[in-house]
Amino acid sequence: MVPLARKTLIYEWRRFLPAILAVGFAGLLQVLQAALVLGIFSSASVYITGSTADIWVGYPGTQSVDQGRSLDPNVEMHMRMDPHVTQVEPFIWLDGDWRGDRTTGGVSVYVSGIDPRPEGLMFARVLDKDMRARLEEPDAVVVDRADLEKLGVGVGKQAAINGHTVRIVGVSSGLRALGGVNVVTSLETARRLNPDPQDAGRPTYLVAKLDANADTKSVAARLRHATGFGPYDVWAARDFARRTVLYWMLDTGAGAGVLFLAGIVFLVGAVITSQTLVAAVAGSVREYATLNALGVGLPALRRVVLEQAFWVGALGLFGASFVGALLMAIARSRDVPVYLSIPVTLICALLVMALAAVSGLAAMRSLRRADPATLLR
Amino acid sequence: MNSPLDNKRYAGPSLRAERVTKSFVTGRVRTSVLHEVSLELHAGELTLISGPSGCGKSTLLAILSGLQKVDSGEVFALGDKLDDLGQRELERFRLAHTGFVFQGFNLFPALTALEQVELPLHYLGLPSREVRERALRSLDEVGVAHRASLRPTELSGGEKQRVAVARAMAKEPELLFADEPTSALDAANGQMVIDLLHRIARTHGTTVLCVSHDPRLLGHADRVLAMEDGRILSDQRHTPELAPGRSNQEISSL
Ligand SMILES: Nc1ncnc2c1ncn2[C@@H]1O[C@H](COP(=O)(O)OP(=O)(O)O)[C@@H](O)[C@H]1O
Ligand SMILES: [Mg+2]
Repeated sequence: MVPLARKTLIYEWRRFLPAILAVGFAGLLQVLQAALVLGIFSSASVYITGSTADIWVGYPGTQSVDQGRSLDPNVEMHMRMDPHVTQVEPFIWLDGDWRGDRTTGGVSVYVSGIDPRPEGLMFARVLDKDMRARLEEPDAVVVDRADLEKLGVGVGKQAAINGHTVRIVGVSSGLRALGGVNVVTSLETARRLNPDPQDAGRPTYLVAKLDANADTKSVAARLRHATGFGPYDVWAARDFARRTVLYWMLDTGAGAGVLFLAGIVFLVGAVITSQTLVAAVAGSVREYATLNALGVGLPALRRVVLEQAFWVGALGLFGASFVGALLMAIARSRDVPVYLSIPVTLICALLVMALAAVSGLAAMRSLRRADPATLLR
Repeated sequence: MNSPLDNKRYAGPSLRAERVTKSFVTGRVRTSVLHEVSLELHAGELTLISGPSGCGKSTLLAILSGLQKVDSGEVFALGDKLDDLGQRELERFRLAHTGFVFQGFNLFPALTALEQVELPLHYLGLPSREVRERALRSLDEVGVAHRASLRPTELSGGEKQRVAVARAMAKEPELLFADEPTSALDAANGQMVIDLLHRIARTHGTTVLCVSHDPRLLGHADRVLAMEDGRILSDQRHTPELAPGRSNQEISSL
């Protein structure tokens, strides 16, 4: 078969360049906005992603990690009985009202009560051994370096949470929260900070580590159905993190914003790409009409146009991947929060190819002008 | 290869029009272009329809080749009544039986001469090797085999039209239509192309219908139909003046 679509694309590359650039830019915009939004919103799940637990146990129906309710502590015994569970620890999450020693007024904070022992799971990726040791001390708290100003205090200074005095024993990075300030403390201190006597001592979550060859999903499923305790549910850490990020994106309208922008980028890209392809078809319309006169059917000619659209999409995608990877690396090196998961990258790639396909379909319609009767005048 | 004998199974003329009329409506004006035209064309002949611009020659060719529908009357091509065929069937009919040469050469800028000829052959469903062989044979027959790897921008006007003729005849069609095939060419190249079409009619038994307002072509056809104002006025047969001793090489060197 003579590769008409490809040969034309190569020979008349100048004609197709705008379409390739349009597809490439559309893809780049899609992927970068997704990376930025994911990067910003993934901080909502820092409790999960900053920890090394494989499994999270929480109140049934919890949509986001910041919405947990207290659990029956006896679930811990049930979990310990599973042969694949190697380590279990409680995690207390509660809202707090922060008063600094200066005139910052009240700041709403999220208090995380964790097991501060060196082998503790919670925030194992964020707090080093030394920082954990400092948390052993009663009423000690750690905050993110970037939040100090907001809290109106410095390291070593005192403040109050829910009317209870605490002392800042250190700062860390990678603890920033979405919509508030994260304050990390020990389980002991967190229990004292809880103003609700009903909850006192009860964990918000139980997190567990599994042995290396355990299948997280099946262990979670096995642990899920036990009676005799209060209500609880079990999730794989990765699923719970994804649910939390999605909840925040939808709750804040950021998800809708992303989709809206994606729609606009798609539309603009498709308009430019289809117009370019239409012009390319128009430029060869007499040749197409001649082929049709010789008996090459319209479906076969349409396939040529679609194939061109496919190559335009593929080349645009290639360019966008290259430039996108470069920009992501630059953003990372400048501490811009960007994050891309494989499924999101695939969705962006799929969108780009869909854009090219839609443009190809639109351009195909202009083949109707390839009527061989018009060649006879 | 189709010999003239092959067409005999259609029992009679390979192309026949019966009282064909055609008119176009532009705005509120209705112009009658063909007035009850009847004609019969035969295999192995080059028939030239000649007449002034605007007399309806191209319209008649479009109708005879199934590219346009009649208003009234009937067209039979190789025994099939064209008006009964739908668009897909017409495309299939054209693929199997007809070749076209137009005034513009309509070659794809990106393809070499060889690929221009090969392209429609692929759609016939021929194996690649036969496609290549046939295309090379056709290019050789029209005398541009040495140009097979060149693109249109590297070919002269005469060479481009010869590639277009090769593309049309490589399918080995029974019917070959040419609309003003020489009017974009100089006299020498024009004469060469019409002689080429004539030779194809003779050697392949093809029914060749050429339409032109160019009086210089008159002497090169087996049969000349003179047309004016949508009517055929005269029908003359004569032996054209293609020098009998002239060889392929001489023609292609023009
Ligand atoms: N599609 C069309 N719509 C309207 N008028 C047309 C159309 N095609 C041809 N005509 C008219 O029909 C007449 C004959 O045209 P044509 O067959 O092309 O003449 P010729 O080929 O002999 O020069 C002309 O007057 C032309 O304007
Ligand atoms: Mg004409």
